[in-house]
Amino acid sequence: MSESGSDLDATEHTALMDGHIAEARPDRELAERIARKRKTKSDNQRSYGSVEQIEGGPSGASIAQQPRVPAAPVEPQIEELELKYGARHVIKLFVPVTLCMLVVVATISSINFYSVKDVYLAYTPFHEESPYASTKVWNALANSMILLCVIALMTVLLIVLYKKKCYKTIHGWLILSSLILLFLFSYLYIEEALIAYNIPMDYITLGFVLWNFGVMGMIVIHWKGPLRLQQAYLIFIAALMALVFIKYLPEWTTWAVLAVISIWDLVAVLTPKGPLRILVETAQERNEPIFPALIYSSTVMYCMAAASPAPGAAGERELRPLQPHGTVEGEGRDGTEAGGGEAGFDAAWRERRDEGAAPRRLRVDSAPPRYVTRLDPPHAPHAPPHAPDLDEEKGVKLGLGDFIFYSVLVGKASSYGDWNTTLACFVAILIGLCLTLLLLAILKKALPALPISITFGLIFYFATRSVVKPFADALAAEQVFI
Amino acid sequence: MDLSKLPNDMKLQLCKSYFKVGCLFLPFVWAVNVCWFFRDAFIKPAYDEQKLIKKFVIMSAIGAFVWAVILVTWITVYQTNRVSWGATGDALSFIVPLGRA
Repeated sequence: MSESGSDLDATEHTALMDGHIAEARPDRELAERIARKRKTKSDNQRSYGSVEQIEGGPSGASIAQQPRVPAAPVEPQIEELELKYGARHVIKLFVPVTLCMLVVVATISSINFYSVKDVYLAYTPFHEESPYASTKVWNALANSMILLCVIALMTVLLIVLYKKKCYKTIHGWLILSSLILLFLFSYLYIEEALIAYNIPMDYITLGFVLWNFGVMGMIVIHWKGPLRLQQAYLIFIAALMALVFIKYLPEWTTWAVLAVISIWDLVAVLTPKGPLRILVETAQERNEPIFPALIYSSTVMYCMAAASPAPGAAGERELRPLQPHGTVEGEGRDGTEAGGGEAGFDAAWRERRDEGAAPRRLRVDSAPPRYVTRLDPPHAPHAPPHAPDLDEEKGVKLGLGDFIFYSVLVGKASSYGDWNTTLACFVAILIGLCLTLLLLAILKKALPALPISITFGLIFYFATRSVVKPFADALAAEQVFI
Repeated sequence: MDLSKLPNDMKLQLCKSYFKVGCLFLPFVWAVNVCWFFRDAFIKPAYDEQKLIKKFVIMSAIGAFVWAVILVTWITVYQTNRVSWGATGDALSFIVPLGRA
């Protein structure tokens, strides 16, 4: 990944798949057009001026000054456009994040299974069984370090595979993890839900329903389907993953893992040699979407026209949800060694998932280029697209790992039974998300979505739990209403 | 996937593929097919492929309905007769409720 300043190299600021966008994002297009006009105008006038200078000195200088003026009023308009779209993106992400959290909180409150700690993953060998706080602390830190190492390893493995263009391996991995998630984890979830509500169920109905649910999920996630259904499935599997984390991580380890993963996210996405940044830049260089499967997108993204069959595998994926391979849960139940699953949700997520920690690679790309080539593959790879609506053009993408960790935080907070804490964490995460999206609108490059939200979430959780809750309890006991 | 951005022949192909996949004991896929292509089949102004899309949507709708009837019937039969079937009922049961029959 060369970091030279040449315009031909892809940097983190290059929009993904720029070359394939038939209709670029309007504001960027507008900005470019204006920049071009400005440049040509000033060039012309400068050259004109220089010619003029040969003939008449003073006039050259005055002409050269003119191009400056028209440029100024355009800037604020572009910024306004961007901020306006930024605000819309925030709203578009609020709903799915809220829904995911709702599903997790509802499940935790109603189904006891996910709050009971009986079996643990092999990734967290220290089970925090001692009564001393200091032992628990080092247990938690050790567990989170182990998980982090596994995640980092899997991320690096993924990057290596991606750089070597082993697309088949990666896709096979993704498909396997979505299969496991959609069938095995959903089966376990349904089983626990039925037990909790004491509803009899027969194998035939169960098999049939699960078969339909799973196959529809695979179709809609890995192939083509209605956008809403795809988003619903992605939200559901993110919630499933979050539930797995909440169940299988010991108490203090959960919080430690959240903190450690946020730091990892920050490091991996922002540092120049960070694996996730390398992934983004490689994808940009190759003009490919980044494992769309692992990303939740608020608008429709088309796969590149299948003009190129081969890497078409990568090119044709639109939203390949990152399916976490969560073999963890199944193994945990059997008490066997937890194998590595491929984590879904984002490449990194995959890693995480591998060991049960969802790698969360979050990249909130703000208006990701729309891969608008139409699906008229063979004869018209660059067929003129219809003019899409301005609004639909811009979608926001959020890695599924982010959904997962947000939901883990809120779910864990709700597992203690106090609604004040749960709501506080929920609000904190949404505030963090807003701030992240705001930063995204300003900085316009891939940003980690976890750090800000998780930091706020953790602060709010501990603050509410230790300060607000006793206060609210005391108020209620004294019947003082404020 | 935004249907409005797809050319008509792609829509037809998609509808047909969904119909074919639904034949594998997948009424849910048929139901999604109906919901997704309903507007294109019946509400949009006529275009070439609309006739075929309409055919597939109707077939998917009938198929989904038939499967739904079968499923509901079976569920009703099972839930009401599970206890009286004794051993067979237990063998069929994935979840046996606690605390009651």
